[in-house]
Amino acid sequence: MSPFTQESEKLLFRLIDKANVLFLYFDVDGNVSICNKKVETIAAKNREDILGKNWLNVLYRDSNAAIKQQMFKAVIDDSIKYRRTNTFEGVISDKDNNERFIFWSITPMLTETEGLEGILLVGDDITELKESEASSKKIDEILRSIFSNIKEYALYVVNLDGNITYYGMGSEMMFGWQKNEIVFKHVSLLCTADDAKNKLPFILEQVKRYGQYETEIELIRKDGQSFPVILTVNQFLDAESNLTGYIFMAKDITESKKLEYQIFQTEKLAAIGQLAAGMAHEINNPLFVISGRIEMLLAETRLARKVKEGLDIVKAQADRIRKLVDQLLEFSRKAPPKLETININETIEGVLPLLSYHKFTSATVNIEKDLAGDLSPIKGDLNQLQEVFVNLMLNAYQSMPEGGRLSIKTRNFQNLYAQIMISDTGHGISQQDLKNLFMPFFSTKKNGTGLGLSICYNIIKNHNGSIEVESQVNKGTTFIIRLPFA
Amino acid sequence: MGYKVLVVDDEAPVRDLFNDLLVKEKCIVRCVSSGESALNAIDKEDFDVVLLDIKLSGMSGLEALKKIKELKTDLIVIMITGFGYDEDLIAKSREYGCSGYIGKNMPISQIISSFKLFAKTAKEKSKEI
Repeated sequence: MSPFTQESEKLLFRLIDKANVLFLYFDVDGNVSICNKKVETIAAKNREDILGKNWLNVLYRDSNAAIKQQMFKAVIDDSIKYRRTNTFEGVISDKDNNERFIFWSITPMLTETEGLEGILLVGDDITELKESEASSKKIDEILRSIFSNIKEYALYVVNLDGNITYYGMGSEMMFGWQKNEIVFKHVSLLCTADDAKNKLPFILEQVKRYGQYETEIELIRKDGQSFPVILTVNQFLDAESNLTGYIFMAKDITESKKLEYQIFQTEKLAAIGQLAAGMAHEINNPLFVISGRIEMLLAETRLARKVKEGLDIVKAQADRIRKLVDQLLEFSRKAPPKLETININETIEGVLPLLSYHKFTSATVNIEKDLAGDLSPIKGDLNQLQEVFVNLMLNAYQSMPEGGRLSIKTRNFQNLYAQIMISDTGHGISQQDLKNLFMPFFSTKKNGTGLGLSICYNIIKNHNGSIEVESQVNKGTTFIIRLPFA
Repeated sequence: MGYKVLVVDDEAPVRDLFNDLLVKEKCIVRCVSSGESALNAIDKEDFDVVLLDIKLSGMSGLEALKKIKELKTDLIVIMITGFGYDEDLIAKSREYGCSGYIGKNMPISQIISSFKLFAKTAKEKSKEI
């Protein structure tokens, strides 16, 4: 006896008919005996044309669908054979010949004696879900591509424990670590020990709380070298918006920092230059009077010996001031270089003999020349450039009291500049001192005026060139000058 | 040497030093402290050489040079400067007709010999013309 009343049976049929699923029942021979509205809609057939027909022909009108049919049939055969419920994701064509993804649930209907009565198919149309899945797969691909290919930024993802889970190509280039070397290692490997202890936890805390954090920080390459970056850290969320990690994005700002520093340096030097010119003039007037008066007094014939000795000392000291002021004036010299066509290699050859007049050290300094044969001439002021080379070479000498090697190398730089490198194997310059090296009055030498290098700097600037220095304490120093070809 | 020299400088110790140095060289020296008084003096008296400081209060040295040359084209003017070697100022001074350029930063002996050289050369030149 049916467990349903007549009323509820009717309702049940109506519910099945209206349900937004494909509902299909066929007997052991495969002939359909019950179907609902949705099957009619998708199969584009009237119920009369469906009932009594083989289920395969109902669902697959197209004879090209043989493979799809076979797969579905295999699953159904399994359900029949083992009397078990199966699921199957299949594709059928709707009335407009559009593919529909159907998630089928296959239930064998058994008699009370466990004999097979028929098969119930309930199908859920999951086409839209599939499409959105496909598009998110696409987004996934795009993201993956962005992560892997962007070279200007280092992109890496860390999990909540701080271990690196994703590491793109840009990161490989920036840090020098290969992906397989660093994945699952802790992110603190990429920053200084101090930052790892203090700054990193703070950054992550901020990101956890506010979603994003941006800061300027020094990161560490595989070789231990540090470099400045702008670091942006974002939350990494899963589909349910749970925090699962952090996305790190680092932009190397070494170059812009350098430029910023150079501009700052240039402006500062210009200001000092102006000050120096003004000062020099103010000093020159009284100094002129002092020197002049001393000389007139010294020209007197009947001077007591003590007076003469005193005046000699005053004169020597006044001369010393005068030389200093001269250097100051030279430093602030407004005169543009007197341009002539100059062969840099010849200029250097011409300067080298001058070095032998300066006996700074009894130790041996070997001079190594490596002058490029393909060096075009430049436009420059011969005297000024000679002054620069002599200055740098003397500095090199003085940095090697125990002897060493002075190497002078010229190169064609990018077909635009003559590059002159003057290197020594001397005591080197500390990072702190390097920052102030071109500042007037800054000197690391006991008796230096601190004007030599600032004058060199100005001369090279006036030639539209550049001067840079690289140094390592106890290893040596290299000055790199670039002067534009004529 | 025996030149009649007008020294123009706005600082008294500098004027006095030039005076003493040049008198020692047997020059007749007159000193004034501004461009204006220099023009006044030149208008009334004849000089062989004017030593003119480039930095003066009031009328600038360059302006004074220009006016002196307008007043007496043949007068020898030597500029004095505390600025050292300045290409712009030298070019301007030459354009206005100065005969030489002496830096206060030079050793005294060199200042005197430069002065003699400039004055002599300029005088010979004007004689040739």
